[in-house]
Amino acid sequence: MIHLAKEDIKHTLGKFIVTAMGVGMLLGIVLIMMGVYRGMIFDAEVLLSDLDADLWVVQEQTLGPFAEASCIHEDLKNTLKSIPGIDKSEAITFQSIQLPGKNGGKKVRVQAVGFDIYGDINPINPKRLIAGRNLEIDHYEIVVTDKTGYKLHDRLKLGRNEYTVVGITHGSVSSGGDALVYLSLKDAQQIQFSYSNKRIQTDKARGITSKETHLVNAIIATLRPGFIADDVANNIRKWQHKSVYTRAEQKNVLTRNVIEKASKQIGMFTAILVGVATIIIALIIYTMTLEKMKEISIMKLMGLPNSMITKMIVEETLVLGILAFIFGNIFSHLIYSKFPKRVLLEVPDAWMLFGVVVIASILASFIGVKKVISADPTAAIGG
Amino acid sequence: MKVEGLNKHFGKDDAFVDVIEDASFSINKGELVALVAPSGAGKTTLLMMLGCVEAPSSGSIWIGDEKVYDNKWLTKETRKIRREKIGFIFQAHYLIPFLNIIDNLTLLPQANGTPDKVSKAKARELLEYFDIADKETAMPSQLSGGQNQRVAIARALANNPEIILADEPTAALDTERSVAVVKMLKKIAIEQDVAIVMVTHDERMLEYCDRVMKIEHKKVLFSGARANTHLI
Repeated sequence: MIHLAKEDIKHTLGKFIVTAMGVGMLLGIVLIMMGVYRGMIFDAEVLLSDLDADLWVVQEQTLGPFAEASCIHEDLKNTLKSIPGIDKSEAITFQSIQLPGKNGGKKVRVQAVGFDIYGDINPINPKRLIAGRNLEIDHYEIVVTDKTGYKLHDRLKLGRNEYTVVGITHGSVSSGGDALVYLSLKDAQQIQFSYSNKRIQTDKARGITSKETHLVNAIIATLRPGFIADDVANNIRKWQHKSVYTRAEQKNVLTRNVIEKASKQIGMFTAILVGVATIIIALIIYTMTLEKMKEISIMKLMGLPNSMITKMIVEETLVLGILAFIFGNIFSHLIYSKFPKRVLLEVPDAWMLFGVVVIASILASFIGVKKVISADPTAAIGG
Repeated sequence: MKVEGLNKHFGKDDAFVDVIEDASFSINKGELVALVAPSGAGKTTLLMMLGCVEAPSSGSIWIGDEKVYDNKWLTKETRKIRREKIGFIFQAHYLIPFLNIIDNLTLLPQANGTPDKVSKAKARELLEYFDIADKETAMPSQLSGGQNQRVAIARALANNPEIILADEPTAALDTERSVAVVKMLKKIAIEQDVAIVMVTHDERMLEYCDRVMKIEHKKVLFSGARANTHLI
């Protein structure tokens, strides 16, 4: 049996492949968008999983440092240790800073994590440390992520002091996708709360004489075995002047409150791109059908059933969609690593897009099929 | 093919146009009939009615022993009648450009359910008959105009039709080639035992036809001798 779609595609193979590549690039961008979303979710949880804390104690009526400003006293960590069920508790700071560019280059936006280097909880995941060592003294040392461009033993100025890079990590990012750097708690507090001489002079003139610097953004704690996070959290909540989140709640804060809008935005972009791809496939198939109208009229006049002709159109659309999907995958895999933020291409997403492409192709073929059904066989008669 | 009391009109009331009035005739196997009429007289309409594309307003049509129209189509699928009983030849060859020559010939028989082997054997027989057997795997774009014209005629025969309807097959040809094509059609009508109705504007071609069908004042009239024919 003659396979009309196969023969037609063979006849215009070059044009067909170039068209599929064009649509494929669009689908590749859809895959990248999905990858950006997955990357955001992944990034959001990097720091959370590296800290591996069971409880987050933050400023009352705030969602914590990932979502909004939170400022509490550092010594709360000692109080927490007296709560039944608490195993370890440490103070931690987060702040966005600009690292000076290397050799006078462009500044790099990073998130600095400050922690007590002599404490019980260390946010630097040893698996991510690819060069150098952890922080060992509580002044003027810094561990940076490779994406910052800094190398071991590089020196950089932050605030009033100069820091030496003692360790390099890979894949450490904040919930916003910025590179992470790690400082001792003292250094971090100094950078966050110490002012310049001019500012101190101005404050003095205004009657402000001292500034509390023993503040942090959150206290994180781990639990002893056998204790339930919610129970311990409820116990702390009784104080009524702190907010407490379990690991699951903090993850929820990250995904719901921090990246929800961004993910919705990406979701909308993805939906629009899929819509655009469907329209483009439909237009291509419509144009391809228009180019064949004379042949279609002849086939209809000779008595070929509509089913045979519409099968050709639907099959061509499906082949175009599937080829475009394959090209889209190749394209996205070629370019995803060039993006500044993490792009995670996942197989289930690709299969989902495949399903969407198949449905979109079938929908897109309707316009060509409609044209076939309405084709006038008498158009074959005459010049 | 037999036609009785065939009428065709378009529109209603003030827009009413009568095109064919009370046409009754028969066309026999082995016969080449020329259909001649001025532009707008209803040639294409008549051809489309004979080809089961356009429904007459009233009357009856038989193709072979089968009555296909009696004031209405007697079958739901007129396309099946065309597929099985009618061959078409157009002004240009109008071969399907993305199918090779043998696929162009086997497309319709295969749509009729003829097995691949049988339809290909018939197609090869026809290509042999038209002296283009070596072109079966060629694409239409690789053949000359004359070769494509022969393929187009072979295609019209591929489904063993009762009748072939040819719409001005010589319109784009010079006199010498037009005569060759009409002579070929006459030869086919006899050798392949098929009736052929050929629309033409070229009066020089009429002498090669068995009969001439004219449409004058909405009436279908015949002239010319009958030869080598028998009623289908």
